[in-house]
Amino acid sequence: MSAGSHKTYRIPIGPVHVGLKEPVTTWLDVDGERIVKATVRPGSIHRGIEWMARERNPIQVIYLAERICGICSFTHIVAFLRAVEDAAKIEVPIRAQYIRSLVLELERIHSHILWAGVACYTFGYDSAFNLGMLLREKVMDVLEALTGNRVNYGVGTVGGVRRDLTPKAAKAVREMIEFYRREFQAFLDVVTEDPIAKARMRNVGVLSAEDAVRYCALGPTARGSGLRVDLRYSSPYEAYGDLGVTPLVPQDYNGEVFGDVYDRFFVRVMEVVQSLDLLEKIVDGIPEGPITWEPKLPKVLAALKAADGIGWGIIEGPRGDDTHIVKLTRGEENVTWWKVRAPTYSNAVSWPLMFKDQEIADAPLIINSIDPCISCMERVLVSDGRIGRSEIVTKAQLIEKCREKTRKVMGA
Amino acid sequence: MKCRPQYVKECKCPEEVMSCIRETLGESLLEMELRERLDGMPRRVLYRDLWVRLKREGFLKLVDRLREIDFLHFHVMSGNDDGDVVTLNLHCSLFREAGAGHRLGLTLSVPIPKEDLVFPSLNERIPGTEYSEREMREMLGIHFEGLPNTDLLFLPENWDEEIKPWRRDETGPAPENIRELS
Repeated sequence: MSAGSHKTYRIPIGPVHVGLKEPVTTWLDVDGERIVKATVRPGSIHRGIEWMARERNPIQVIYLAERICGICSFTHIVAFLRAVEDAAKIEVPIRAQYIRSLVLELERIHSHILWAGVACYTFGYDSAFNLGMLLREKVMDVLEALTGNRVNYGVGTVGGVRRDLTPKAAKAVREMIEFYRREFQAFLDVVTEDPIAKARMRNVGVLSAEDAVRYCALGPTARGSGLRVDLRYSSPYEAYGDLGVTPLVPQDYNGEVFGDVYDRFFVRVMEVVQSLDLLEKIVDGIPEGPITWEPKLPKVLAALKAADGIGWGIIEGPRGDDTHIVKLTRGEENVTWWKVRAPTYSNAVSWPLMFKDQEIADAPLIINSIDPCISCMERVLVSDGRIGRSEIVTKAQLIEKCREKTRKVMGA
Repeated sequence: MKCRPQYVKECKCPEEVMSCIRETLGESLLEMELRERLDGMPRRVLYRDLWVRLKREGFLKLVDRLREIDFLHFHVMSGNDDGDVVTLNLHCSLFREAGAGHRLGLTLSVPIPKEDLVFPSLNERIPGTEYSEREMREMLGIHFEGLPNTDLLFLPENWDEEIKPWRRDETGPAPENIRELS
């Protein structure tokens, strides 16, 4: 990989494999160990889902939307449902809005803990990774108790939700809140106070506030650069108007903002704590009432067939705002067209800026820092500007390089 | 047109933005609708979207005028083959950082005639539009004037660029291009 090496590796792993999310190709132009240019090429797992939806009615598309992502599946369907409800002018009962917000926050907790754990693993902090995975199980158990599933919960429907919050499930949520308030602090301390972790993340992959604005960064990536942007605050949807969410930015806690991997890390772990407070407010304040606008599915389908127009749904997912746009045509059962924009679509545009002048050893951490999937790393092409040569390195090689740098920082 | 990359901290009311759009577009304005949604308890409006349908001629003028109000945050483009025209929708936000419940969603919808499927690129003004412009180029065949990178984004490298997957006319996928999975 460094200048002068003549060995070329070409190990074809992926693009479709058992990783968590979608793979993406990144071309890094490096001068020795330093990255001078990065080019991102997505598309390895473009499944044509939007095209498939043209032959399905909105109720069927819910289950398609739920399978866009295994981590933020509920985020996708709520964005889709809000787009459909916007197009068909359907009002969702308040209790259903609270339940949607509840599941969205549970999903945010499991997504952020998973991400924080994987980030620790990337730079060799395996004990923090294991602790993160251990802690995450609790929220997965609660999701299972609430919905019957650990992922793809099947809870959302047009005009409401399909599962009510039972007293038993509410008790499980309360117990989970207590559990995390007791146990999560240890994780928070070890990952934010540890000098080695801080050294590996501070001033790495910097995205300035101005670039975050220009490149339309979203979610924790934008907030990590100090922007007070959060749709739960600026455009409260579902129950968020009652919950009083404020965007969580590093400068409010640390006095300053660097816009680096550490700040993005910090925002995510602190948002877990914020989500616990929101969950408590939801469970305490959820009103009684129906959970669907119309329980009879044929009536819902008839209303959707009669609807005509474009609807837009946009909500704050764990990685940033998730946008769905749907066109329904009067007299047609199927969705006319559907556009999905997951947050990584926007955040990946700013990757090349974060890579600039960084070391290859930091590349996995930078790619990881916007919270895409580490499986993205399976196909990274490294070209050395000095000797005009390219080679493909694998995820395992990059991770090893990243960990090697941690060992150097530790003086081992 | 240069615009400082930062968000305003105080918003304008939707009616003020609407009158600004009316004034800027003049006859290029085809249709405008403000949608407000009721959420939470008590039911109140904290979520607003403004839908504007306009002619292509007024598009850049409107974008530059809106950027004087706030740095236009771009979400995504959507589009459809509507017969004689391809409709391109730009989904954006104003007042993203201007306080609780103050964001205004904004959709700019522009019909582009198929015989002249050209649209001005916003890449220089808002670099975050790059992926969407490349996607609309490969999926619907819209040529963006001034877009520096026109490489394929989501379609495979060996894709026949004559086929535009989201088109519904002869340039769209033919039955022999489609592999039914079920």
